[in-house]
Amino acid sequence: MGGAARAGGGLRDRVAYGVRAALHSLLLASVALFFLNFNLLGTASPSKRFSQDLVYAWFGNEAWLYPRSAAGAAHGGAPPRVVVVVIDESALALRGARWPVPLEFHAQFLAELEVLRPRAVLLDFLLIDPAPPPDICELLMVGTRLRRAGIQLYLAVTTPADLDTLDAAGCRTGDGRPLPAAQVFTTVSVQRQVDGSDFVSRRYPFEQRASESAPGSGLASAAVRIYCDSERTPDACLTRLTAAQEPDAGFELAWTPAGDPFNQRWSQVSCNESISPVRAILNQPALPRESACPPVATLFAGALLSPEQDPALGAGNEDLFALADGSYLMVGGNFRGSGDLITTPLHTLLPGVYYHAVALENLLAFGGAPKVRKEFRSPRLAFYGYDLLVLWILAAIFQWRQRLVQRVHPLDRSPFQLSDEARSWLAPLIARFPTPLWIVTAAALLLLFATFRALQLIGVAATIVALIAVELRVAPRTEIRKRLLGLLLYLGAMALSLAVIALAIWIGYRWLRLPPGDWLGYFSFVAFGFFVAHAAIAEFGRRIDELNVARRTGRGAT
Amino acid sequence: MKGWVLLTACALAPSLGVAAQPSSPAAANDSCLKLDNRVLGPRTSDRPLPLLSGDAIHGFHPACTVSWRALSPRNEALAVTGCFRGSLLQIANDSACGGGTGPLWVSTRWVMTSAELEKPAAHAATCQQLDTGAWAGTRAYEFDCVPQKKELNAAGAPVAQRAGSSAGAAGAAALAGARTAADAHAAGAKDADAKAAVAAPANVTPATTTDTAPPR
Repeated sequence: MGGAARAGGGLRDRVAYGVRAALHSLLLASVALFFLNFNLLGTASPSKRFSQDLVYAWFGNEAWLYPRSAAGAAHGGAPPRVVVVVIDESALALRGARWPVPLEFHAQFLAELEVLRPRAVLLDFLLIDPAPPPDICELLMVGTRLRRAGIQLYLAVTTPADLDTLDAAGCRTGDGRPLPAAQVFTTVSVQRQVDGSDFVSRRYPFEQRASESAPGSGLASAAVRIYCDSERTPDACLTRLTAAQEPDAGFELAWTPAGDPFNQRWSQVSCNESISPVRAILNQPALPRESACPPVATLFAGALLSPEQDPALGAGNEDLFALADGSYLMVGGNFRGSGDLITTPLHTLLPGVYYHAVALENLLAFGGAPKVRKEFRSPRLAFYGYDLLVLWILAAIFQWRQRLVQRVHPLDRSPFQLSDEARSWLAPLIARFPTPLWIVTAAALLLLFATFRALQLIGVAATIVALIAVELRVAPRTEIRKRLLGLLLYLGAMALSLAVIALAIWIGYRWLRLPPGDWLGYFSFVAFGFFVAHAAIAEFGRRIDELNVARRTGRGAT
Repeated sequence: MKGWVLLTACALAPSLGVAAQPSSPAAANDSCLKLDNRVLGPRTSDRPLPLLSGDAIHGFHPACTVSWRALSPRNEALAVTGCFRGSLLQIANDSACGGGTGPLWVSTRWVMTSAELEKPAAHAATCQQLDTGAWAGTRAYEFDCVPQKKELNAAGAPVAQRAGSSAGAAGAAALAGARTAADAHAAGAKDADAKAAVAAPANVTPATTTDTAPPR
């Protein structure tokens, strides 16, 4: 009976101890969460975004990060391809036109695009200035023909009222019925978003709407609208993507550092610019160099209008049809001085139409579930709560490892600290030299290491080898054994933390759709440096807990 | 003798068909001006041919889309009666789209011509590139295209027949109108877009967009 009571008491104690340990870990994790998201005056944003760019630069070709294999395959059940069609001065000249692009050129060009049998065409041009009514009607008539052929047409507008200019022409169909522009073109927003910290376009808006209007009531962005129209239930898709979003919300664009292989036919630089992640992390912790080969297949309008500009599209236009048949054609301008350029994370400046093309590729690659930052999610608290959960587990691993280390070596918590024996051996050795001499020598060495990066690795390696040699020479065997055990515990705990982080990233990226910028911060807790630095908070919490327990058991607070 | 020369010139005139065309910088290089050039047929049999009406002075307009069979019921080669910058061919058929369209044109992209078959094979060359520089100055800069011989790797891209040397001249011709350029530096994209819109008085403006930076 007494034994059972003792066993029950022991279990209660263990549970109580476990709960207290969990609460202490929670305290530490909460502090970590605060610092992880600490962004006073936006100072943390640039580093967060740059880290994300690095992830795409290193792993952007990996299917687990950006499964855009669909972009390279036009057939075989893969999603349709996205193709940018670039109109430039050279293309206009082939039809005797010049910039700004006249409506009659657009009408001709749409008729040429019809031959390619695309799935949809986006005209990334604002047709807002007055034009001769016959030209307007001609454009609408050609557009009607494409619509009848099953080709969706999308037109960039700043507001739906932009179509009034086209409607003012009073165009009519062949049988005399009115032909409103809205019957031919689906209007889409081409509003652009940039990160305030560096003006790079990493986000793509869901819709364009005033801050006071309800979610879903605005004008859908080009890529969102085009994608949703390809779904079985377009309205449901639009509602899903635009619902419960803040007015300035957008989804994160994944990028690949490589150019589309199709572009190699005209690009003077290599389109296969890929970096080995291992090599990049070790030797090149920076973004790849600017690539002039864009990541989306690009067909120049001049090449379409004249085989002399690109004779390699096949005698029977085989390559041309293979590229464009059933594709989404995003028609945009590339005119000197027009200013329609976007700053991208990996391909620097590109004509604005690529913004919509990459966004559509993202929607296709992620099956209409693109990555969205925590700050634009709802309920926001739940996503930050996920962060807290991950950090809680990491803090618990840290505390578990601390307890084990203390059991092995109560006085020395870090396996990397010099032992007392080693300090006692080193100090007299250095003391043989005059203080100014050894301090100036140490300062000079550190100055050299700071100046010449190549020396840093050598310096660190030499120091580690020297200290290990000293430890092996002067430390007792029992001490060395304990140190090795501490080191193994440290590495084991680190491996466990990495496994937890990998799982958290998988859940966060795959299921919660959080972009890399929202989960890269977990890695800063792998080496426990943060927890060690803030262990005093956990100690303080433990002390308060002890006082509370003492108060409850009647021993009084001291 | 004099009469014989005149007769020969008259006989050749319809085939050349250049007298009515305005001169253009690229005209001299147009391969379609070759004597007795003919449209042999479509490059792809199962696709319709978009036809244009109009001319270089009044502009080209989409007329209709027809099959090759409608253009040439007996599948015979059609005489080329005119051409425009190596890109458009005027064909000897002005009724394929109904009456009143005038002479019809077709893009060289969709049809095969006899002149094309006679060209010597050469490596492909491209004069295309993305113009992503940020310019501050006038748009009257003229950058001549310098075709570079370029092997197309892999993917079995067939060897091209001729370098597109005329494209550069044509592109340069299109840049004739000087216009103040916007400083399209990325950091000032919004400003650049606004300037570009002001500087573009004509009827169509590239769809530049508004940058919106959220509060951080």
